[in-house]
Amino acid sequence: MSSHEGLISAAYVVAAVLFILALGGLSGQEKAKRAIWYGIIGMLLAVVATVSAAGGQWILMSIMIALGGIGGWSVANRVQMTQMPELMAGFHSLVGLAAVFIGINAHLELGLAKTAIELGNVAELTGFAATIAAKTPVEISILKVEMVLSLFIGAITFTGSLIAYGKLAERLSSSPLTLPGRHVLNLTAIVVCVWLGYLYFTGAGLWTLLLITVVAGALGCHLILGIGGADMPVVVSMLNSYSGWAAAAIGFTLSNDLLIVTGALVGSSGAILSYIMCKGMNRSFISVILGGWGGETESSASIGGEMREADVDSVAQELDDADSVVIVPGYGMAVAKAQGAVSELSKRLRAKGKTVRFAIHPVAGRLPGHMNVLLAEAKVPYDYVLEMDEINHDFPQTDVIIVIGANDIVNPSAQDDPGSPIAGMPVLEVWKARTVFVCKRGKGTGYSGIENPLFFKENTQMFYGDAKASIDGLLQKVS
Amino acid sequence: MKIGAPKEKTIGEARVALTPESAQRLQKLGYECLVESGAGLAASLPDSAYEAAGVKVVNTAEELWSQADIVVKVREPAADEIDASPSDKILVSFVYPASNEALLTQMNSKNISALAMDMVPRISRAQKMDALSSMANIAGYRAVIEASNNFGRFFTGQMTAAGKVPPARVLVLGAGVAGLAAIGTSVSLGAITLAFDVRPEVSEQIESMGAEFVFLEFDEAQLDGATTNGYASPSSQAFIDKQREKFRELAPSIDIVITSALIPNRPAPELWTEDMVASMKQGSVIVDLAAERGGNCALTKPGSKYVTDNGVTIIGYTDFPSRMAAQSSTLYANNIRHMIDDLTPEKDGVAVIDMEDDVIRGALVTHQGEITWPPPPPKIQAIAAASPKPKEAVESDADKASREQKELQRSLNLTGVMLGLGGILCLALGAVAPPSFMQHFIVFVLSIFIGFHVIWGVSHSLHTPLMAITNAISSIIIVGALLQVVSDSWLVMILASIAILIASVNIFGGFLVTRRMLAMFQRS
Repeated sequence: MSSHEGLISAAYVVAAVLFILALGGLSGQEKAKRAIWYGIIGMLLAVVATVSAAGGQWILMSIMIALGGIGGWSVANRVQMTQMPELMAGFHSLVGLAAVFIGINAHLELGLAKTAIELGNVAELTGFAATIAAKTPVEISILKVEMVLSLFIGAITFTGSLIAYGKLAERLSSSPLTLPGRHVLNLTAIVVCVWLGYLYFTGAGLWTLLLITVVAGALGCHLILGIGGADMPVVVSMLNSYSGWAAAAIGFTLSNDLLIVTGALVGSSGAILSYIMCKGMNRSFISVILGGWGGETESSASIGGEMREADVDSVAQELDDADSVVIVPGYGMAVAKAQGAVSELSKRLRAKGKTVRFAIHPVAGRLPGHMNVLLAEAKVPYDYVLEMDEINHDFPQTDVIIVIGANDIVNPSAQDDPGSPIAGMPVLEVWKARTVFVCKRGKGTGYSGIENPLFFKENTQMFYGDAKASIDGLLQKVS
Repeated sequence: MKIGAPKEKTIGEARVALTPESAQRLQKLGYECLVESGAGLAASLPDSAYEAAGVKVVNTAEELWSQADIVVKVREPAADEIDASPSDKILVSFVYPASNEALLTQMNSKNISALAMDMVPRISRAQKMDALSSMANIAGYRAVIEASNNFGRFFTGQMTAAGKVPPARVLVLGAGVAGLAAIGTSVSLGAITLAFDVRPEVSEQIESMGAEFVFLEFDEAQLDGATTNGYASPSSQAFIDKQREKFRELAPSIDIVITSALIPNRPAPELWTEDMVASMKQGSVIVDLAAERGGNCALTKPGSKYVTDNGVTIIGYTDFPSRMAAQSSTLYANNIRHMIDDLTPEKDGVAVIDMEDDVIRGALVTHQGEITWPPPPPKIQAIAAASPKPKEAVESDADKASREQKELQRSLNLTGVMLGLGGILCLALGAVAPPSFMQHFIVFVLSIFIGFHVIWGVSHSLHTPLMAITNAISSIIIVGALLQVVSDSWLVMILASIAILIASVNIFGGFLVTRRMLAMFQRS
């Protein structure tokens, strides 16, 4: 038996190392294509080792894995790149739900182990119950805390991700829900959970755990409902982080180091992503979590001037005259599924000897890196796709900038107007270019509801219409 | 309706208000176009070119004036032209109503609706018909060309086998449209270009063109030029003194001076005084673009070129745009075409004078027997008034070093405090928790550290694949379910099976979608 356990541990160590390599490999596009195999092999090793050690139920396991695998495979094959945000949110909810089930199981097995100890037939126990039966009372207490934690995090991840999914898939309104006293509500939910956890700790039964799950689930719903559309990149990365912490908490519950390592890796990864997204919006993590753009700050500058409209001919003409063109995509491009047309446009312009590049703001879209994936799908080579910091100082030498479905990330009031709600947010300084065309559906404001003085600048022209239709129209003029 | 362009009567005027190209665009708007025979000849546009574009060529000015409903011209019409004209025409041309009131009355008596191209308001929408700007642009370019023609040396510096040639030093005074065009031309010829303007806010534009802005050291708060609709206003005496002092200092080292400073409705300000000319080197050139309004240089003779006693060539031509008639006709005709475009909202070849339209109302000087000049102020301000920018505190090197030192110290302190707190928490945990827990805890903390270090290295463009792959590997939670599925309790078995099912959805889905995404990333 001990050599067997040694083998399993060895498999777990190798799997953990492979997971680290898989994440580390994402530092570059070419390396990443190999890195994913590390992750797949690691997962395979871990699952095979665990299954082989389980001692029974192989058929059930295989059926479940096969069914799940087919489901996952078909979803992943069908999904469009524009739907990636909601897919991510949906997947996160599954991890949360699994964590809830495993947490409840842990409690049930704890019960089995207790009865067995009382009846004196510990030797007959199998699986996890046997492991529990070997624990000291202090370890059991810690186990209870861990169970409560994994249920709590798991439930929040599950419901929160479901709501995020609904918002991203536009089945729910993306505007933040602001109930009166929502902070008090959240706080109450947390206090109730702590109290229930205490009750469980001191001997209350399964019902406390179930109640914790329900309350935490409601808290998850309410938290994410209160967050607006533009903050979704933070929310999705935060849920990503939670799903990691849920796995780690389960790892503690089951005394399984592989789960702990992996959970910690995923948790910190999500946390870093959230941090990067928050920095991209110059907002603190707390303010994002506590809900949508506040209406408290009034913009001090009213915007003067007029918007000018451009037609397809004049945009085509300007593009023809330009040497360097930068395209700034935003969520609107994803909504209109215009990435293919945009890619074609960039290809044609490049064929005419023009420099065409893409500028990506860290929070463009609804998911970290969303725009990069869409452009990659449309076969835009990644060396033409630049980050904000790489391209911001090039704008004064740029002839034409086309902003497609982006608003807040190109808003100059972030720099000029200290009273603006987005003051201090790093933005793409497109207004420094010679001519800016803003491709936009209508005259409305962005998701933050803030007027954009860019549209009134002298070198800006509005190119109204659905992004895809507009770019397609443009393609007919640029050949 | 019919649009006609007569031949310009003013002697030396080579431009024409209608080109074959603009005529084609006007025909698309539903107009018929006429041109007087020979009108475009001086601008290299023979009658045949017009005919090829479907423009009817008429022989005399009388014929043209009588047939056309809209007459387009460059220069303001002469008195005899209006006398000979039938009434009820629309006229589009330069008018300069401020100095031509007699002409306004005369046109009014003929019930002519006159649109003055020089009165088009300076708002963004009207830029495409701003003929003053397009002509000024040409003048600025031509000024540099004339200067170079009269300057005996290279503009650009060169290292030749025969020796080193220093670059020319060009000073441009007044950075309006003409000034900026001159700066651009001069810079692209390779000269060291300096520029000055009384409006400090244009320094950014000047520098963006590659010239150096001549700053005056000055304490008094300066008027923001944007409040004067984008034009310069007269300067205070103290300012003028300071400015002259600076110019005197520069004059001996400058090879070429191009002046283009104008203040609306005033004679041109004298910027370059006699003694400055005297202190310039032999062979230097001064081009005075403001000659028509008296000149920025004290010695300018409007309309002519001459060499001063100390060998400085002063050029005071007043017809720079006309000297590039082909180019200026193209641009002017386009300006006119845009104006007529705005006059024809229905695109049906019928001109409608809409008094509510700021641009048309601004340009309209006579209409339906009334003199409508000067126009009411436009509803939209030309340039949104710039909000005063808080002065950025200039940070000395010492300040910067000390600030950085402080920031470093603060972040070190913060790290110290965090480490201290974390350490105390760990110790507190260790005091109560059993060793088995602490072992897992060590693994947990170390993994977080590894996670942080690894993830910071991830490329921003791969954040979505990162999320997908972390999502896939967070389904390692399946291991927990696999451990539990072998149980004596059927409830545990069911729950664990469901957990296995959904975790494997995640594993397969997550990895597959990551692979799909990564496969799309291609190098060029």
